[in-house]
Amino acid sequence: MAERSTFDMGRTIVQALALLLVLSFAVPYVYLVMTSLKPAAHVQQIPPSFLPNRISVENYLTVINTQSMPRAFLSSVAVAVLTTILSLALSVPAAYVAAQYRRPITVFFLLFALITRMVPAVSLGVPLFQLLKSLGLLDTTFGLVLAHTSAAVPLVLLLLAAFFDGLPKEMEEAARMDGCSRFQAFLYIVVPVMKSGIAISALFAFITSWNEFLYALLLTSQNSKTAPIVIAEFNSVYGLSWGPMTAAAVLYSLPVVLVTLVLQKQIIGGLTFGAVKG
Amino acid sequence: MKEPTFVALMLSPAAVFLGLLVAYPVVLLIWNSFYEVDLVNPAGRVWIGLENYADALTSRRIRESASRTLQYASFALLFEFLFGFCAALLFAAIAENSRWHRTIFALPIMVPPIVAGLLWRFLLVGDIGILNHWLAGIGVISDPGAIRWLSDTDLVIYSVAFADIWLTTSFVALVSYAGLTNIPKDLIEAARMDGANALKRFWHVTLPLMRPVIAVIVIVRGVDAAKTFDLIWIQTQGGPRQASEVFSMNIYQRMVRYGDLGEASASATLFLIVMVLLAAFAYWKIWKPAHG
Repeated sequence: MAERSTFDMGRTIVQALALLLVLSFAVPYVYLVMTSLKPAAHVQQIPPSFLPNRISVENYLTVINTQSMPRAFLSSVAVAVLTTILSLALSVPAAYVAAQYRRPITVFFLLFALITRMVPAVSLGVPLFQLLKSLGLLDTTFGLVLAHTSAAVPLVLLLLAAFFDGLPKEMEEAARMDGCSRFQAFLYIVVPVMKSGIAISALFAFITSWNEFLYALLLTSQNSKTAPIVIAEFNSVYGLSWGPMTAAAVLYSLPVVLVTLVLQKQIIGGLTFGAVKG
Repeated sequence: MKEPTFVALMLSPAAVFLGLLVAYPVVLLIWNSFYEVDLVNPAGRVWIGLENYADALTSRRIRESASRTLQYASFALLFEFLFGFCAALLFAAIAENSRWHRTIFALPIMVPPIVAGLLWRFLLVGDIGILNHWLAGIGVISDPGAIRWLSDTDLVIYSVAFADIWLTTSFVALVSYAGLTNIPKDLIEAARMDGANALKRFWHVTLPLMRPVIAVIVIVRGVDAAKTFDLIWIQTQGGPRQASEVFSMNIYQRMVRYGDLGEASASATLFLIVMVLLAAFAYWKIWKPAHG
């Protein structure tokens, strides 16, 4: 009997600790959302309050009515969508042969992708600047898409290769028996079967671009600035206007937060290239 | 179509792209690092061999930013691992009831670093930072101005890591949790039969089996933490007085603010080499043996 009650007590403590830990990690983001909903004048009051004493969308209106912010959001969407499409177009065929036709050249290729992922962005930023400048692509959407795609491809490639690894080789063989060419078998049989893996990879390519800061800072100046850059500049241009800044931060992060809550399991698998099954 | 032709055709678009946008810039970077480039007249570049490297290796500011990177990365990694692994153990202990815990805990995982940095700056900054008001409220510090997280030069390199820890602990936790649930139950049970207590079971059964998972975490997170730029940039821009200037930021500053292409390229090359070697070493040392 005594053992039973210590067991229950241990369980209660574990439950309480788990809850405490989870709450303490959620609180900062909740505070960000709460702050963004305060009237602008209350945001910087001392002492600060956690909850708004009155809900207001004033900060959101300020953000939407700036000239730069809506444009930057559109720019972020355009760059992320184009990066996703280009990354998939390049990576899906390459990852397929790398996983299904193991030979020195494909192994070398995957290794190159793995090394590329370790390369610091700041090291590539400057020569990329020179390259885009000589191509006349500085401060253009397409130029930034190229840079973001170079960051997304290694990630997406390794992720897709892990997905394609689980595909039975017989699938392509059966399709070829039925008279498909290798390419037809890939396009009409393999790709449809792998569509959930490809969708997760697309999500990663999108978020890589959506969250990227350093390339956008180096490679854009006027026309194609993305939202992270404009949010960071809110600092200097508008003084320390924390209210609109928190509103912009919520607008920019809420889509990814919601996606994470829904697709948590797939995202964990993806973050480790399938090395750990979620 | 012959098999080699097919492989070559499928591989070449990605290979050409990576060659053009990764390999070529790396070559360009190394090439730049051997030159002294005039800011006003970029065409007037002079070959100076390894001089930029000699300058980089003897510069105090660079040495300091390198050691700060190490401080930052090890501090962030330590706490991410500590919190993350503890969270995973707690979740595993209440296994069937931990679904909601895990879902909410995952919330920060994909938050843009720029947002996380902004958020933590707001929590820590000067008079309006709510963290100090709370700490003062529960009596940990005497008044809300007692700790100046972002303006104390001794403290700031650790304070800016809070955002990193908040952002990525959930990654560590959920990856570790997945690893823990993959450990066969009968192994733990067998150890229990042999009379091993909880601590011994953890040390001799759970931990060795978690080795590949821990390796993944240390490699992925360690390299990413050492490369951090945006998270610190938005909080302090490397200040006050370069007290939070990490290596990547030092390279950026020398390139953009001082326009010293040659020397910035030399340190960027060194940075790249160290990162790749570090990852390769970790890969061979920890990951490979566990797989083989």
